[in-house]
Amino acid sequence: MTAASQGAPGFSLSRFADTILPKLVIAPTVLACLIGFYAFIGWTAWLSFTESRLLPRYEWAGFVQYIELFGNDRWWTAMQNLAVFGGLFIFFGLLIGLVMAVLLDQKIRGEGAIRTIYLYPMALSFIVTGTAWKWILNPGLGVEKLLHDWGFTGVVFDWIINPDFAIYTVVIAGIWQSSGFVMALFLAGLRGVDDSIIKAAQMDGASLPTIYTRIIIPSLRPVFLSAFMILAHIAVKSFDLVMALTGGGPGFATDLPSIFMYQHGFTRGQLGLGAASAMMMLFTVAAVVMPFLYSELRRERRG
Amino acid sequence: MGALSIRNVKKSYGDTHILKGIDLEIDKGQFLILVGPSGCGKSTLLNMIAGLDDISSGEIAIADRVVNKLSPKDRDIAMVFQSYALYPNMSVKKNIAFGLEIRKVPKAEQEEIIARVAKTLQIEHLLDRKPSQLSGGQRQRVAMGRALARNPTLFLFDEPLSNLDAKLRVEMRTEIKLLHQRLGTTIVYVTHDQIEAMTLGDRIAVMKDGEVKQFGSPQEIYDTPANLYVAGFIGSPAMNFIPVQLGEEGGHAVVVLDNGSTPQSVRLGPISEAQRAFVGKQVILGVRPEQLTDPESAHSDRTNLQSLQATVAITEPTGPDTLVTVTLNGVKTVARCHPRAAGHPGQAVTLVLDPTKALLFDPASEKRLA
Ligand SMILES: Nc1ncnc2c1ncn2[C@@H]1O[C@H](COP(=O)(O)OP(=O)(O)OP(=O)(O)O)[C@@H](O)[C@H]1O
Ligand SMILES: [Mg+2]
Repeated sequence: MTAASQGAPGFSLSRFADTILPKLVIAPTVLACLIGFYAFIGWTAWLSFTESRLLPRYEWAGFVQYIELFGNDRWWTAMQNLAVFGGLFIFFGLLIGLVMAVLLDQKIRGEGAIRTIYLYPMALSFIVTGTAWKWILNPGLGVEKLLHDWGFTGVVFDWIINPDFAIYTVVIAGIWQSSGFVMALFLAGLRGVDDSIIKAAQMDGASLPTIYTRIIIPSLRPVFLSAFMILAHIAVKSFDLVMALTGGGPGFATDLPSIFMYQHGFTRGQLGLGAASAMMMLFTVAAVVMPFLYSELRRERRG
Repeated sequence: MGALSIRNVKKSYGDTHILKGIDLEIDKGQFLILVGPSGCGKSTLLNMIAGLDDISSGEIAIADRVVNKLSPKDRDIAMVFQSYALYPNMSVKKNIAFGLEIRKVPKAEQEEIIARVAKTLQIEHLLDRKPSQLSGGQRQRVAMGRALARNPTLFLFDEPLSNLDAKLRVEMRTEIKLLHQRLGTTIVYVTHDQIEAMTLGDRIAVMKDGEVKQFGSPQEIYDTPANLYVAGFIGSPAMNFIPVQLGEEGGHAVVVLDNGSTPQSVRLGPISEAQRAFVGKQVILGVRPEQLTDPESAHSDRTNLQSLQATVAITEPTGPDTLVTVTLNGVKTVARCHPRAAGHPGQAVTLVLDPTKALLFDPASEKRLA
């Protein structure tokens, strides 16, 4: 006798467990998602079309905030910084992570220890990273002073206080923190490559560099994609790192859109402008991520 | 002369000795099978021939050239792996061409070779696909194509069929055999499937625990296994091993088989010197199921077939024959009978044994008493 026939036609425990329970369990998460993400996206979008200043106002005002945003020098500096920072951070993050992973993959001794050391920066918060690098890069305290003390008095390494170079210090600190994690991703990918593929390539006469560049690395495509997505979103939402390292300065030389948004939205009483900049960030992320997701999904369906 | 010579080859990792002195030699065009249970060192030996593992001691020569120090690409060999090992990011065509490209074969010649190989293996329609878009059997063909394209002096196969389903495995087995007959290349082929070993090989090396237990032609290994291990490993259903006391009568070996109620004396072939030393002692009688059958199925041209009575315990029909299990000297013994003569459990049957094919083994050393 089955549970269904026992309970029919009224309440049935197995039916409850099969159909209603999963929905019930999922519901809070879905609700939190809906409110936490999509409702607030909607609210921000609405605010960006109003004249909100210190407090939200809800009268429609058209595109005034966007027009102001696009006329704002500081916004364009922030966007330019994001392009420089994002581009270099992602490129070198991937490159250094991949190279470290390939080197670690050579079955060297002490691999476990090295892997842990490389991964440690990821365990720190960006605030700690920013503060530490602020000291390291400070001309009066860190690398420059050390070199001067060693007798290399001609060395100048003042990027952090030079408006033209300050953004590169953010890149350095960001890469220092993230490349270990990228390495771990790639290393997992490399370890997943069937050993006999490498043996087959050896028998085909390929040298080790050729095996990596022609076979192994190209087959890590999905890992590249994941690493790219992770680095890209770290780049776009970077905030704490810059705040701790340079505070957006000197001047607003290292402003990023997230800092622009925070300062205008929450400290300068320009909620509408902040909302408009937040929407632009959302579109930036979407513009980067959508084509990738789309092409990957299409590949999967075709493949 | 020798296409492949393996002389006293050993392999150890630290204190664990994986291969304990292997000696094998085959001629050009022969098909050598390395067969044995999992972990006996077959792949290790193959990898050493390929140059993927180094040799702890001993010597390997391919086409009379010692290759111990040569890298895999200079040994003029090609290998097909168990997992196919196709390059996942390349099309089938690129997979086949890769080795040629590395060896700087001119483009036009590459095309020619690809076309020839694709035709041989009937994979012309798959050339533009990626490995992930192929079935297991198709991947297997591509892996073979990649090996064929190089036209090496020696082919190595490491359990190439073990990932295929039973039916496809039989098909591919036939195909590999045909390919070998057509191309006449020398092949070393690793398997743990004794049927594959028997059907494909010219020469079989039965391995266990890093040693070659016997090296010979399939028929030699089947008819005159050197020891209990080889006797039990080759043949399906496996050979019956019955403990008996050896006697001698008029120049013939005699054993007594007890079916539980009556001891019956069975006269085997003429006794040999080695066997005579065991008269009066316990030995092991080895009888293959097909040499123990019902009187009707027994070859009538055989003289002095020995008949004995037994009680059927289980019957297992296989279609053409029925396997009948009886108890002799306290051990379960399988006889291969005609379905009509198989009887049913509990019934008494008469079986005949071919005395010339029966083997005797020393239970202590496990060697056959020749
Ligand atoms: N790098 C290694 N270090 C230590 N022992 C090893 C190493 N590689 C293989 N072995 C051991 O060598 C033995 C033989 O391995 P091998 O792969 O040759 O077995 P095989 O006969 O091919 O088995 P299978 O049929 O499962 O493929 C195994 O017991 C294995 O544990
Ligand atoms: Mg193996």
